[in-house]
Amino acid sequence: MKKSAVIAFLTLFLLGATAIYQYSRFYDGRLHLIFCDVGQGDAIFIRTPKGKNILIDAGPGDKVLSCLSNHTPFWERKISLALLTHPHNDHFAGFIQVLKRYEISVFGMEKLENKTQGYKRLMQDINNNEIKINYLFTGDSFKTEDGFKIRIMAPDESFLVKTSPNNIIGENKEFSSLITLISYGSFQAILTGDSQVGELKEAVEKQNLSSSIEIFQIPHHGSKTGVDREVLQNIEPKIAVISVGKDNRYGHPTSYVLNLLKDLKIKIFRTDKQGDIEIISDKNSWTVQ
Amino acid sequence: MRLVIIGTILLTSLFLRFFFFYHNPSHPKDGEYVSFRTTLLSEPQVFDNYQRIYATLDQKTKIFVYSSLYPEYHYGDTLIISGNLKYKLLINGNYISSMNFPKIEAVKNSENFILAFISSIRQKIISLYQKSLPVKPASLLLGIVFGIKETMPKEFSDNLKMAGVMHVIAASGMNVTLVGGFLSSILVFLVRRQIALFLSIIGILFYAVLSGLDPSIVRAAVMGILAFSAQILGRQRLASYGLFIAGYSMLFISPSLLYDVGFQLSFISTLGLLYIRPLFERTDRVIKLLKSSIIGDETITTLSAQISTLPILLANFGTYSFWSILTNVLVLWTVPILMILGGIGAVLGIIIEPAGKLFLYLSLPLLIYFEAVINTFASYEGILKIESISWQIILGYYFVLFSLISVFKKN
Repeated sequence: MKKSAVIAFLTLFLLGATAIYQYSRFYDGRLHLIFCDVGQGDAIFIRTPKGKNILIDAGPGDKVLSCLSNHTPFWERKISLALLTHPHNDHFAGFIQVLKRYEISVFGMEKLENKTQGYKRLMQDINNNEIKINYLFTGDSFKTEDGFKIRIMAPDESFLVKTSPNNIIGENKEFSSLITLISYGSFQAILTGDSQVGELKEAVEKQNLSSSIEIFQIPHHGSKTGVDREVLQNIEPKIAVISVGKDNRYGHPTSYVLNLLKDLKIKIFRTDKQGDIEIISDKNSWTVQ
Repeated sequence: MRLVIIGTILLTSLFLRFFFFYHNPSHPKDGEYVSFRTTLLSEPQVFDNYQRIYATLDQKTKIFVYSSLYPEYHYGDTLIISGNLKYKLLINGNYISSMNFPKIEAVKNSENFILAFISSIRQKIISLYQKSLPVKPASLLLGIVFGIKETMPKEFSDNLKMAGVMHVIAASGMNVTLVGGFLSSILVFLVRRQIALFLSIIGILFYAVLSGLDPSIVRAAVMGILAFSAQILGRQRLASYGLFIAGYSMLFISPSLLYDVGFQLSFISTLGLLYIRPLFERTDRVIKLLKSSIIGDETITTLSAQISTLPILLANFGTYSFWSILTNVLVLWTVPILMILGGIGAVLGIIIEPAGKLFLYLSLPLLIYFEAVINTFASYEGILKIESISWQIILGYYFVLFSLISVFKKN
């Protein structure tokens, strides 16, 4: 009896210590932008300065779960905003696993469909959980009270109709993807999903980017159809992040993109080499971990 | 004399069973079209782009059925599967039948009502764990408490294998002892002793089905039930008879188990605990030393189990790390505590979710510690690496081991 009392006390004490440690770590008043290593796919987790959780894409499998676990306190199971850049398996399938464990308040996506079983299942789960769906177009935005902002840069309705007739996404070639601008103070990042260079160019021109862009996510895992010299020079990011799987069968990232970045002296971070890539900002300055 | 006669009869009947099992020529051929009804006795394994279902065509033919990720199927579901069989060569040289993306139709009401009911409780527990704990701790605790492995991220189960502690996520003897012991000690206050023991046996059966009927849990359940029945009948418990009866009946019912690594490991390591472990505790001084040190018990348990299973481990996994002794010593003491916290959490959580959550939270610090130990030692290279090991060497090893044990026992 004495022994079990000691163990009970110890576990309680350790739980308290864990909670205090995690609280101080995850409520540090700074913005955390994490490119999760999910293999070949995209998943970007954002924890706002006051601790709101935002997830942009969720990768193909269940690897996104480890990323979420590693960057949130254990008692939090709410994702305020989930965005799906476009309905392809390597971007949406992880949401099915996320929904088994987390509550999502708002689900933002393009007005697009995909005919696969997996996509049907995701939509079923979203309906069953009575999650609000927002169809997003250029100009839509989200704000949190701590000064964090997400702005949709593309696509607009006409682009969507042109690239995806009947609201059904193709499996390759031209398709559109949500492009988002993230800002907190003077810190800005552009996230691109699988957008193609045409869509990106149009978005950057229309946005008229005045201040500097710190982080730029290379579109489509480094495919050669995602960027060109002109658009990179226009954005002029401090660093580029490529979300890509090790030894993937598409040959991503392409040497074309890597050489272009090298040429323009833009520093590259890759999830297949570095694992999760975490960028922390306090409005004025930022660091990569 | 009587022992010899009984032994001969038992061995002969087992031999005949094996003979007829493997001499029945009706075996579906490569490419043959089959359509069959099956109830899943294990949870499908989920990969990034597909799931693999382990289906039973007939007693001899188990089939890996590959199917798209959705719809999901679960342990206890009844399916009608139709398609062409394909033989597939495994890495270890054996063949297994497989079916690639056949037509699968789920039968609405599972044929086995009890299995379906227990499976729904199982889903509830998995969901409760996953909603309460981070992904790796949740999967680790599901493994420790219920032997449920399918929710574990692959890189984490690889780490468990490398660190040599995969055995803690198989439900086995300790789980059964805890379930049986817990139930009987509570029930004894409520009903007559005999009835309490009987209900505990039902509890063990329920637990075995809940945890997924792996060979290790079946063996432990049979042994546990025998031990409890012996108490009902007023007889002494005799663990080695229990082990023998469990092994014999399992092989008789399903001869192909003989080649199942889980079955082999479970039996041989239990033998190790029964016969090698006592050799360490021969003098009072050693017993006292073991009792006074915190980790003495774990050390000799690990050593006994490892000595007895070494050739099987090498033959199947090709590597053995001496670090695994240290790893085991560092984590094993947390296992009973985690079993109790996780077990109470599951039972409470089904009734009152927040109360269950609290107990699961309590297990979190230990799980984080466990995970840290595993991740540290998984990166240490295995020292003993072997390409292949011949059966003569395995046989020789056990012959020497057997002789040593009998010599030491006599002294």
